[in-house]
Amino acid sequence: MAITGSAMTTCLGDLDATFRALLEGRSGVGPLRCGDPEKLNVRNGYVITDAEPDAPHLADSPRLAARWLARTVADALADAGVDPARRRVAVVVGTGLRELRAVEQWYADGAELRLAQLHFAEAVRSVAPEVTEVHTLANACAASGYALALAADLLELGEADAVVAAGCDTMTESMLAMIGRVGTATADMVRPFDADRDGVLLGEGAVAVVLERADELRDGQRPLALLRGVGVGCDAHHETAPDPTGIVATIRDAHDRAGVTPDEIGLVVAHGTSTALNDPTEAAALLETFGADGPVVTGIKGAVGHTSGGAALMSLLIAVAAMDAGLVPPVVGLRMPIAEAAKLGLVYGEAVPTRARLAQVNAFGFGGVNAVTIVEACVGAPLGGPS
Amino acid sequence: MTATAAQLSAPASSTTPLALAITGFGVLSGAGIGIEALASALAAGHSPTADVSGMFEDPLPRRDAHALVDFRVRDHLGRKGTSFFDRSTSLAMVACEEAFADTDLEVGDASRDRMGITLGTTAGSAKSTSDYSRDTFVQERPYLVNPLLFPNAVMNCAAGQAAIRYGLKGVNATIAGGHLAMLNVLRYSRNLIGCGYADALLAGCVEEFSPQSAWAVHYAQRTDGGRLAPGEGAAVFVVESAAAVRAAGRRPDAEILAVETGVYDPPGADGTFVAGLTSCLARALKRAGVRPDEVTAVATAANGMPRFDEAEEAAVTAVLGAGPERLRVKDLTGEAFSASGAFQLAALLARHRTQPARDGELSVITTLGADGAAGAAVVRGWSRADGDHG
Repeated sequence: MAITGSAMTTCLGDLDATFRALLEGRSGVGPLRCGDPEKLNVRNGYVITDAEPDAPHLADSPRLAARWLARTVADALADAGVDPARRRVAVVVGTGLRELRAVEQWYADGAELRLAQLHFAEAVRSVAPEVTEVHTLANACAASGYALALAADLLELGEADAVVAAGCDTMTESMLAMIGRVGTATADMVRPFDADRDGVLLGEGAVAVVLERADELRDGQRPLALLRGVGVGCDAHHETAPDPTGIVATIRDAHDRAGVTPDEIGLVVAHGTSTALNDPTEAAALLETFGADGPVVTGIKGAVGHTSGGAALMSLLIAVAAMDAGLVPPVVGLRMPIAEAAKLGLVYGEAVPTRARLAQVNAFGFGGVNAVTIVEACVGAPLGGPS
Repeated sequence: MTATAAQLSAPASSTTPLALAITGFGVLSGAGIGIEALASALAAGHSPTADVSGMFEDPLPRRDAHALVDFRVRDHLGRKGTSFFDRSTSLAMVACEEAFADTDLEVGDASRDRMGITLGTTAGSAKSTSDYSRDTFVQERPYLVNPLLFPNAVMNCAAGQAAIRYGLKGVNATIAGGHLAMLNVLRYSRNLIGCGYADALLAGCVEEFSPQSAWAVHYAQRTDGGRLAPGEGAAVFVVESAAAVRAAGRRPDAEILAVETGVYDPPGADGTFVAGLTSCLARALKRAGVRPDEVTAVATAANGMPRFDEAEEAAVTAVLGAGPERLRVKDLTGEAFSASGAFQLAALLARHRTQPARDGELSVITTLGADGAAGAAVVRGWSRADGDHG
């Protein structure tokens, strides 16, 4: 299964800009621009700001995740050279909150909103009208990992010639209010696996990859990476707290599907939310899977925030970029690891060189839903990251 | 390459999809709680709406709905662990409980690891989400919203809670499919089982009655001159591989032989809408290997709006002729968005349950949405002569 095209938008910019910032240890955190920080008890967020200066009228328009989604789907299709008018192309979108922010703005601010704008189909068809189907998976912060798994299935079962797996979310005031209530203090940034972390902050953006059957690539076409397998499962433990048993089971399922053993994995991009619930649990699960001499581990949420529906695929694209560049970016925001993660090969401070060809990407969501992806770098791919 | 899927890719060609077996189900609709209530309403051809004027403080567009006015989750599942469930989650959980009680699938610790949930929805619990958002705006600063209630405002709440209650550790997915949700759920379930992610799934849909949904139905119906009352409820089916069920010497309640969906141009005077459903229906029959004259009944979408219902009837007649009986399930259960497709399937199965004369009969489910979504499924059903798995 070949990944032949990709695109993403984060608070730091596109994939190249985001990867560069990660290598330099830069974070996209900034002042919150959604709601009243005083009331929400949340000061900072990972906000996309460059999408609006050309359209001041958007200040009164609902803040639609679909706006970024449409652009990334179009860019990913162009990157792959896939034309939905000529081949059967399906689209699977993973999301946590869909367009809840737009509904809030419609309700509270009188922003104009049409019902059809709440469906991603309209946005996707605005840039690719001929796609055969558009599906929305509402699987919290593992959503785009689940979307990728379904994308692979649709190809395997011959239901499409190419499938776009995507993820998107924007931040909502209600989610921010919840974070403001459960945070131990007003966090300055996301600090995954850090001993002195204050909890999660939200990010926003969209991401898309194009999957095609590896044996159907055109002559001379080189994929960005190979999707080896996606494990999906459920903790069945707690609505919001993750469970190491469930996470380990999903990791092992992913390894089985990909036909790999833990010692072949050279890089892990962790879910790493900087919360008391996730980080120790994820660290314990990684230690149980890989032992103390496991692969290097990084995470991207210190740089781009928790992007919910897009999180899994954004981590995947950074994993691919890292393997192609031979450099693993540090966990931005991490200063001193928590005791539970002391034996992990966490990268922090600065980037480290890598010769990894196989990476594992973790994504976990509310409801105990887990998606773990194994991705393989393409041998001989040019250095400098996929473009 | 996904190893398990790769092994299946050769036999599972696009023209011979895996057949799903249903080995038990639970249903709660405006017609009542349980399979018998739906079967009785279907036999009577009528199910009265209930007076819902006392259910909520918020204004409602009309006083009646196909709603379960006296439904309380604790009456079915007890108080423990249910106090924070919203209505959507409660309805889904009781349907899951009934589905487990109805199936002969033995669920043990080992099989729970290979069992998952696929739940269709429109937007989760619109009431929970709206209430939580409203709290965000109206509570004292800092917003003293209750974090314990936040999980209810996430669209995949019901599926997550069901997994916790029943210890189901396989795939857990929530599909926002609106009117197409049940057909999406069946397609996704077929992929999951065919690609080796799970051996069995709880597959169904849920929709709650609330002021939000009542107004949504009101405006949607008014646009096209419909008068359907809102509905609510859930139907959850235990689905497995039909081949595996038969190999184990078990007898399914039904087999889903084909599911086809598409989204076409919204209904217009040019007949495109009719063409979309016609195409789905014809494709479903072809994939199922079923001739049109073998189909005995069609559980139609029956949206209650003349333009839609005429388009649906035209498509059904074009493919199946006037012969097959039409079951207008929505007349009994109201407009329940994503749950409507689940009620159509439940109604077909409820009819089979106590009627051995229908054993092996083939039926079709059709779906139409105002956005141009269309779909069809082909279902073969059986009775339980002794009222239970024999």
